[in-house]
Amino acid sequence: MKLTDTKNIMVYVETADKAPVNCALEALGKASEIASSRGEEVIAVLIGKDLERATDLSIQAGADKVIIVDRDCNQVEAYRSILLEVIKKYKPSVVMAGATPLGKDLTPVLAMRFESGCAVDVIDIKITDDKFVMTCPVYGGTVLNDIVIKESPIVMTIRSGAFSKVIDSSRKGEIIKEDISVPESTLLTKVLEAVKEIGEQVNLEEAEVIVSGGRGMGSKENFELVKKLADVCGGVVGATRPAIEDEWVPRSHQVGQSGKIVSPKLYIACGISGATQHLSGMVGSEYIVAINKDEDAPIFDVADVGIVGDAIKVVPLLIEEIKKIKAM
Amino acid sequence: MEILVCIKQVPDDSVEINLNSSTGKPNLEGVTQIVNAFDTYALEMATRLKEKVGGEITVVSIGDESVKNSLKNCLAVGGDRAFLVKDDSESLDPKSVSKFLIKAKEDIEANLGKKFDIIFCGKEATDYALGQVGLLVADELSLPVVTNVVDIETEGESAKIRQETEDGYNILEASLPCVVTVQKPNYEPRYPTIKTKMAARKKTIDELQPAEKPENTVEVVRVFEPVKRSAGVKIKTETAEEAVEQAIKLMTEAKVF
Repeated sequence: MKLTDTKNIMVYVETADKAPVNCALEALGKASEIASSRGEEVIAVLIGKDLERATDLSIQAGADKVIIVDRDCNQVEAYRSILLEVIKKYKPSVVMAGATPLGKDLTPVLAMRFESGCAVDVIDIKITDDKFVMTCPVYGGTVLNDIVIKESPIVMTIRSGAFSKVIDSSRKGEIIKEDISVPESTLLTKVLEAVKEIGEQVNLEEAEVIVSGGRGMGSKENFELVKKLADVCGGVVGATRPAIEDEWVPRSHQVGQSGKIVSPKLYIACGISGATQHLSGMVGSEYIVAINKDEDAPIFDVADVGIVGDAIKVVPLLIEEIKKIKAM
Repeated sequence: MEILVCIKQVPDDSVEINLNSSTGKPNLEGVTQIVNAFDTYALEMATRLKEKVGGEITVVSIGDESVKNSLKNCLAVGGDRAFLVKDDSESLDPKSVSKFLIKAKEDIEANLGKKFDIIFCGKEATDYALGQVGLLVADELSLPVVTNVVDIETEGESAKIRQETEDGYNILEASLPCVVTVQKPNYEPRYPTIKTKMAARKKTIDELQPAEKPENTVEVVRVFEPVKRSAGVKIKTETAEEAVEQAIKLMTEAKVF
């Protein structure tokens, strides 16, 4: 089905524990910037229960209208069929979602249903000759593609950290309730169990400081040093794939191509040589400190400060020094 | 259990790919072509399932003659037969890939006289990382699909699937046939033995005709490299104490703390 006469930018605002996920708020910020330059509106779509706070935040982050679909969903198919109906009714020319697992599950099919295409992990958007030009990383971020999508709606997922979140509590917006039913026939899978694994919540994407450890930490015991340094810095723990595979730290801490893409203010890499897959996940950090024995390690090519040395010896000293600074 | 595993041949992802400034395209010269890592996990998961419940695995891919080599590698680690959809395009968008795979599936089913129960794909390819093909194939065929799968069991006409989530996992149930896209499970793909390699070399890989290519809605208008970070200060001192002292000085100057 082709959509004609489209306008405005729609953002699906995914929520976790009734709060919008960060990259959805970041998407709203970018959408608002683009929409106001075109004299258009930003329409946020929220699906779920008890979303008052999420609604307020969506407006403060850039939504002009918020469509609330008050429905408890736990299946991708349900979200998808609701969004399909909303898109059909409001005919946006652009549909954005955060590049989360749910966002990535929803968007390709939405695009396909409207005979359009879907840009993935968008890190920049420019309007050139009235066309949306989206920048997407390929080959682990070592190469970037600028792409255009010829049909409406242009569908995309926005990578976390690509745009900044702007919260303006004086913004006003219109709230619209839509009652959309989910046809039983669209529900093809059934969630039997949804398990949150015990352990601390790791919010790598939103952390301002990340201290990561890699194979160079040598053992699970030594990896504790990474955690201590993170504690002292007020940051969270990240890790490379080898450290995860050796079970020094749970999977949720993985930074890199198959883990999280992060952009903290400070990234400290301990015993990490800097494989492409890891670099692509952390190279967007503002300030990078690296500690590694091998002075030719690729991590030093991206580090603002590189310490050539054994992380096991260097990290305890760093902990002491940073403690002193923090105590001042 | 009739299983179809869809694989993509990609440039070795342990090699850093940069732009060739004269062609304006990614420089893939000299980079070995391998089976996409997530597809190797998919094949291993499919193989373990086959070993448990019986059945056969068909592997399919799209591309030029060189892809036959990747397909033979798949035959050495669990695949029973393999097909190549012959297409020499430099790259195809996810919509075209899904149409080609659907036609291939139908052609193979007609050829074998059997229907596939499960279609396995990797969750994404390591080159473009779009993660769309499995979803589009399932949607077009109106089949259930589960992404980021790390384990699967079947019982009768349904599958119990473990899906990795941001903060844990889901257990989902889907009726067969279904599509799954595989995340890295808690095991590595097996290695071929000399015997399985020899046997795979002897097998022929049949070619299939591609489906009609749908109109491309996505166009790449520019390929470029991100602005490279320049390397900062590298500290190499006699003692760790000296190194830390220098590092702290630099970090303080940069107002990191």
